Amino acid sequence: MTAVIETERLTKSYGSHRGIIDVNLVVQEGEVFGFLGPNGAGKTTTIRTFLDLIRPTSGVARVFGIESSADPVAIHRRIGYIPGEFTLYDRLTGGQTIEYFGNLRGGVDPAYRAALIERFDVDPSRKFKEYSKGNKQKIGLVVALQHRPELLVLDEPTSGLDPLIQQSFYALVREAQAEGRTVFLSSHILSEVERTCDRVAIIRDGRLVKVDSVEGLRDLAHHEVELRFVDGVPAEAFEGLPGVSDIVVQDHVLRMRVSGPITPVVQAAARYELLDFVSREPTLEETFLAQYGHEAVEVARP
Amino acid sequence: MTASLGSVPTGRTVTSPFSRVYGLGSIYGKTIRDSRLAFIIAAGLLGGMALVMGVAISSVFPTAASRLEVDKLIGSMPASMVNLFGKPVSLGTLGGYMTFKYGAIFALGTALWSIFALSSTLAGEARRGSLDLVATAPFGKRRIALEKVAAHLTMLGLAMAILAVMTTASSTLFGDAALGDQIPLLSSVGFALWCGFLAVFFGGLAFALAPLLGRAGSAGVASLVMLVLWVANGLDVAGIVVLSPFRWTADHIALVGRYDWLPLGLVGVVAVAFLAIGVELFVRRDLGVTAGLSLPRLPAAVLGVRGPISRAFGDQLPRALSWGIGLGLMGALIASLVGPMASQLGKDPNLSKTFAAIFPGLDLGSTGGWLQLYAELLFIAAGFAAATFVSRWASDETDGRLEMVLTTPLARARWVIAGGTAAVLAVVVMTVLFAAGIGLGAASGGVSAGDPMVGSAVLGVYAAAIAGVGFAVGGLWRTSLAAEIAALVVVATYLVDLIAPPLKLPDWIHELAVTAHLGQPMVGQWDVGGLIACGVIAVGGILLGAWGMARRDVD
Repeated sequence: MTAVIETERLTKSYGSHRGIIDVNLVVQEGEVFGFLGPNGAGKTTTIRTFLDLIRPTSGVARVFGIESSADPVAIHRRIGYIPGEFTLYDRLTGGQTIEYFGNLRGGVDPAYRAALIERFDVDPSRKFKEYSKGNKQKIGLVVALQHRPELLVLDEPTSGLDPLIQQSFYALVREAQAEGRTVFLSSHILSEVERTCDRVAIIRDGRLVKVDSVEGLRDLAHHEVELRFVDGVPAEAFEGLPGVSDIVVQDHVLRMRVSGPITPVVQAAARYELLDFVSREPTLEETFLAQYGHEAVEVARP
Repeated sequence: MTASLGSVPTGRTVTSPFSRVYGLGSIYGKTIRDSRLAFIIAAGLLGGMALVMGVAISSVFPTAASRLEVDKLIGSMPASMVNLFGKPVSLGTLGGYMTFKYGAIFALGTALWSIFALSSTLAGEARRGSLDLVATAPFGKRRIALEKVAAHLTMLGLAMAILAVMTTASSTLFGDAALGDQIPLLSSVGFALWCGFLAVFFGGLAFALAPLLGRAGSAGVASLVMLVLWVANGLDVAGIVVLSPFRWTADHIALVGRYDWLPLGLVGVVAVAFLAIGVELFVRRDLGVTAGLSLPRLPAAVLGVRGPISRAFGDQLPRALSWGIGLGLMGALIASLVGPMASQLGKDPNLSKTFAAIFPGLDLGSTGGWLQLYAELLFIAAGFAAATFVSRWASDETDGRLEMVLTTPLARARWVIAGGTAAVLAVVVMTVLFAAGIGLGAASGGVSAGDPMVGSAVLGVYAAAIAGVGFAVGGLWRTSLAAEIAALVVVATYLVDLIAPPLKLPDWIHELAVTAHLGQPMVGQWDVGGLIACGVIAVGGILLGAWGMARRDVD
C-alpha cells in the first residue's frame, strides 16, 4: 500500500494559541480514514496544513509523496476538498459555481457531474445566495466530487444534509473506495465515521491520541454487562474477576463494567441460574467518550 | 446515554470586565464599534478639509486686494453654478469662500456616509446572517432598530462636532480677522448642523427603503435621489426643486453668519419621519425579506466561469459599472455646464480676468479647464473606486471562498495576479464610462472635450496604482485590511497634496503624494514620470502581493 497522506511531527502554532502538536499520521491509498475530535481539537488545522492553506510551524506533511508546501498545485490537482465552513459566489447560480470549479480543474465528465447533481437533488438554476444551508453544502459536495479526485478531503461533509441525502453521500464514499480512491473524512459525528471508515484517528487538544481501525477502537472499550438472576445476586462471585468494575446490584439484577475479555464473567455466571444475560457492545461513540472521559467528559446515564 | 462536558476550570472568564467599553455590551455599543473606522475616515476628512481651507485661503488670497478680486465674482455667475456649488455670499472671507466652493461637497460627502451606514446597518446584517441571532435576543425589533439608528446619529453627531470645532479653529489659526475670516463657533455649529441634517435626510431615506429594497437597492436609490435633488436645485428644475432640501436651506449660510433655522428644522423633521418609517417597516416586515430592485441582470457570459481572471472580472463588473456611471454622470454634468459658462466668460472680459487670477493656467472656457478644477475630487473618487475593487477581490478570502478556490490547481500567486488583472480591467471599464460621460455632456453643450476624455485615462492609472497598494497589502499581510489601507492612502495622498504647498512644507513631503506628479491631465498636460510611477506601483503591487500570498497562511 502507498501512503497518500503522511505527516511527521506536524506542528502548527498560532502565536500563543495552540494549533496542532507533533501529529504523525499515515493514510493509505484506497482507505476511508476518519478523523475524529471535538470542536477546536485541531482537525481543520491539520487538514489546512497538509493542503498547504497554512504552513506548518515545524514538521512535514506529504500528500501523494509531495511535500505540501513544495508543490501544492500538484497536490490540489489530484484532490477534491470541501471545507467545514465555506461560502461561494453570491451572484452565480449553483450550476455556474459547479461549472466554474470544473473549469478550474478541467477534465470533468459532464455526465458524471449531472448524475451527482441529480443524486444530491439540488436545483442548479438558483443563485448560490438563495440556497438553504443544506443546499449550499450539496453544491460544495458536487464541486469536491465532480472530477473524481484520487483523494477526497471532507471536513464535516454532512453538515446540514437531510438523512436521505446523507445516505446518497455515504453511497458515494463507498463508490469512491470501490474505485480505489482515498477518502479523508473529518467529523465529530461518530456514527458517520463508524459506518463509513476503515480506520479512525482521534485528535484531542491538538495531539493525536489514537489511530486504530474502527473494530480496534471498539475492542478498547468496556462492555456493559447485565445479569438477571432467578434468586439472590451473588455479587461477591464477580467482584474479584479481572476487568470487572462498577458493580451495582438492584433487586435480582447485577450490572457491571467489564474491560478486556468477557470470558471470566461468562464462566462465573454459568454457575448460577439466570433469567437473562445482556452484554452490550459499545458504540464508537462510547469508545470515543471513554477516550476523552478521564478529565473533561462525563458519561451520564439517563 | 448522554455526554455532557464537566466543569473545566480554565482560569479564564467568559466576559471581560471591559466588554462594554469594547462595544460588546449592547446593540448600540456594538454598532458604534462597527462604525469606528468609517467614523475615523469621515471625521478625519471633514475636519481635515476644514483645517486645510483656512490654510489654503489665507495663503492663496492673503491680502485685501486679492480678496476683492474674489468678491467680484458675486453677481456675475450663472445661476446653475451658484446654486450647484453654493451661494456666493462674502466670497472674500474664509466662511463665504468655503461655503461657495466646498459647502455642497461637505454636505454630499457626509450624506453619502449616512446613506451607506443606514442602508446597511440592518439590511447588511440580515445579508450576513447575523440579524437572526440579534433579533432572537431578548429585545423587540423596534428597540434593535432604534439602537442601530441611535448609534449612527451618535457617530454623525461626533463627526459634526469635530467639523465645527476644526472650522472655527482653522479660522482662528490661519484666517485674518481683519479680512473677516474669523468664524464664530455658532456659525461653525450652524454649518455642521446643515451638513448633518442633510445627511440624516438622505440617510433616513435609505434607512426607510432598506427593509423593502435591501442594502444595495436602498443605498442606490437614496444616492440617486440625493444627486437628482442637488442637480435640480442647481439647474432650477421646475417641479422637482421644491422637494430639494438644498433649496429649502439655500439661505442658511451659517459660515457668513446668515442663519435660516426654520427650513433646517424642516429638513430635520423629514429626516426623523424617514427614520421612523424605516423603524416601523423593519418591525412589521419579515426579517431580511426584501423585494429588491428588478434591475437587468448581467448576462451569464460576463459573470465569468471560464477561469480565474474572467471570474474575478465578473465579480468586479457591477462595481465598475456603478462607479463608471456615477463618475460619468458627474463628468457629463460638469461638461454640459461648460458651454453656458464659456459664453458668459466670453461676454465679460472682467469676469474672464477675475477667473484667470483665481485659477491661473486654466482655460475656463474649455471642458478640460473646468474638469481640472475638480481633479482632486475625481482622484478621490477614482481612488475609492479602486479600494472597493480591492475589497471585492479580498472578499474571496474574508468571506471564506478562498479555501475551495486554492484547493483547485490554481496557485496562490496566480489567484492574486488574476484578481489584480481583473481589478485593472474594472478600472478600465470605469474610466471609459467616465470619458464617455464627459463626451456626452460636452456634446450636449456644444463644446469639444478631446483633452479631458483622453486625460481621464490618468484617473484610471491613479486608480490602478491604488489598487496595486491594496493588492500588495492583501498579499503580504492580510486581505481584511487591504481595502481600508488603500482608502487611507487615497485620503493621505489628497491631504498631503492639498496641505503641503500652502503650509510650505518641504518638497519631498509634497512629492510623496502621487497626484502631485500627474500634471493637469484634463487640459492635456501630462506628467510622464507620474504615470510611470503609477504603473510601477500598480504592477509592482500586484506582483508583490502575489509573492507575499505564496508565503503566508490563508486566513
